[in-house]
Amino acid sequence: MVQTSVAPSTRLARAATYRRGVWLVVLLGLVALGFVLDIGLGPVRIPLPAVVDILLGNPTDTPAWHFIVQQIRLPKALTALVVGSGLAVSGLQMQTLFRNPLAGPSALGLTAGAGLGVAAVMLASGSVAGGFAIRALGVGGSWALVLAATTGAGLVMSLVLVLSARLRDNVVMLIVGLMVASVTGAIVSLWQYFSAPEQIQEYLMWTFGSLGGVVGNHLLVLTTVVGAGLLLAFASAKPLNALLLGENYARSMGLVVGRSRTLIILSTSLLAGAITAFCGPIGFVGIAVPHLTRGLLRTADHRVLLPGACLLGAALTLGCDCLAQLPGSQTVLPLNVVTSLLGAPVVLWVVLRRQNIRSSFS
Amino acid sequence: MALLALGPVAGFSQSPAPKVTAKPAAKAAAPVRSRTSVQYAKGFTLSYVGNYKVLTILSPFEQKTTATRYLLLPRGTARPTGFTEAQVIELPIRTLVGLSSMHVALADFLGASNILVGLGSFQYVSAPKVRQRITEGKVLEVGQGKQLNNELLVAQHPDLVMVTGWPGESLPRFQTLAAANIPVLINSEWVETTPLGRAEWVKVMAALLDKEDLVNQKFNQVVRDYQRLAASTRNVAKRPTVVVGMPFKDVWHVPDADSYMAQFLRDAGTTYPWDKTRAPSGSLALSFETVAPVALAADYWLHTGSTKSKAEIVAQDARYTAFAPFKRGMVYNNNRRTNAEGSNDYWESGAVRPDLVLADLIKILHPELLPTWQLRYYQQLK
Repeated sequence: MVQTSVAPSTRLARAATYRRGVWLVVLLGLVALGFVLDIGLGPVRIPLPAVVDILLGNPTDTPAWHFIVQQIRLPKALTALVVGSGLAVSGLQMQTLFRNPLAGPSALGLTAGAGLGVAAVMLASGSVAGGFAIRALGVGGSWALVLAATTGAGLVMSLVLVLSARLRDNVVMLIVGLMVASVTGAIVSLWQYFSAPEQIQEYLMWTFGSLGGVVGNHLLVLTTVVGAGLLLAFASAKPLNALLLGENYARSMGLVVGRSRTLIILSTSLLAGAITAFCGPIGFVGIAVPHLTRGLLRTADHRVLLPGACLLGAALTLGCDCLAQLPGSQTVLPLNVVTSLLGAPVVLWVVLRRQNIRSSFS
Repeated sequence: MALLALGPVAGFSQSPAPKVTAKPAAKAAAPVRSRTSVQYAKGFTLSYVGNYKVLTILSPFEQKTTATRYLLLPRGTARPTGFTEAQVIELPIRTLVGLSSMHVALADFLGASNILVGLGSFQYVSAPKVRQRITEGKVLEVGQGKQLNNELLVAQHPDLVMVTGWPGESLPRFQTLAAANIPVLINSEWVETTPLGRAEWVKVMAALLDKEDLVNQKFNQVVRDYQRLAASTRNVAKRPTVVVGMPFKDVWHVPDADSYMAQFLRDAGTTYPWDKTRAPSGSLALSFETVAPVALAADYWLHTGSTKSKAEIVAQDARYTAFAPFKRGMVYNNNRRTNAEGSNDYWESGAVRPDLVLADLIKILHPELLPTWQLRYYQQLK
């Protein structure tokens, strides 16, 4: 009797593991497909063989194609890979840490902090000390934006880390994050209120999110920081699993909760901070992808969820960027619009199908 | 000039003919003597009836349905019947609050910058006379665009407040000022599709100041110079390719075929790739990838944002170094006349002197046509 009941459940578990493995391979394939499409498609029609030739370093007749593939599309596709996986992982960590399905990379106020930094450069430049101070450092153009956004996110992160050492309750942390976001948002609004329309437009463009403009050194820095954040995240897979059951339970399992929490917050800050600094606040990927991953892989194990979220995030972002470029059209859509328009219905579908999302968090 | 004074020129939409047979005003006032007429601008009409003038600002966004009409009456004359919805402005205006640098330029063009008693922001002023008045404390800062300091305005009680028209803009927003009997005039000069049309808004200011003779003389000179310059490029052997503007990450906004910038480029004898493409907003939001092939091979690169040197362009994005104009040093920006406060006179006096702007462009693109011309608004980035 005992034997007969054990055997099928082991078989079931094996089948589930096998299914997850298949899904991960499928996701990997999707990422590869998205990557190829993102480089192959664009407003300027370049035949696929020519794209491959250019990527292989062979000469073509059209120098403009070289520039487009090597200087525009390839960096953008790489950025999409990095951004997608980074945001998805940081979202997954936030949802588990706060045991809240609505949490995302912006939950700690990091995105808002970065936005404040950017506003300081764009809206104050030329008039108030802020812009001048950054220019006086000799940081020009896009680096000034990155530096400002990183500083903003870093300041908020420090505040959050200090508070998290004192506050035991994750719900309180979540509220602190939301309030920090509120305050920084209000400061940005105030700034906009007193700014000229063209400055506001520039800031607005930044808030739309964009993968373009991350090239050369930018891409190197972004990849390094996001890589470090991802390593930290993967290292915290076990603590994340334990945290799912609640902090007290995790503590009873021998987890040093405070240290794990600091590690997770640090990892998320690196991921969300760097990505927002370089690409602007890209919404939705961080909230949606963890849900999609859980729905797809049907597991709460972060050792599976983390790589799954990485792949799915990258595939989704690549797909959204393909759509944002609208092949055949000369215009480009803001990435944030595409991620939300495409992502929200999918998440709704997953959530409605599963009904009791709460079971993932307790 | 006499020809010009004959009345409305065919080709621009005339408001429904004011049927009011010039009623003898309560106080017998001399009929308006000098007149001007609108030839290039499409955003307003001006007509002369008896001793007053009717100025109609056409909303470029909703056609004529939201046209705003103004009765320009000699000071102290009674309001004629009809035009119940029209606002009354008494002439000549003695004090003016202007919210955009264009309004400063309009007053300055007619030598009337001393009527400016208020500005939206002090930051965007170039005219030396106005800067002088600011230093002397003779000008108020009344807040920009959407946030007018109504209390300050009511206390100051200027003869006119000139605001910039935006899509969906309507006068009800200025109810407080209307209640205080301060007329508000919506000026939408920036939607004009030609440089001369844009500059012709000086005639609105002239009508308000009773300076028709002066404006006819000065504006006609601008037109003559502009047309002579435009004619000089008509048969140039080479029409260099130009790329305009500075992208922000993925998006590169370029002027569309109906913008006054495109007209400048046509008149300056260039090949402009988007000369036939139209967009409702006056500019096209293109992807970087779409513009890049043009920029890579263009002869000239104009209007590079706020940059003042090639190093600043590289700091924005190192990929720009691959553009042919960058490599050959043919990058020109329109910010030569930027003052310490950061205000660029190109947007001020340049708006009413399209002849000078065109001369700059021709000097850059066809230097052999204007060998002695010194660049006024543009500078070559080194």
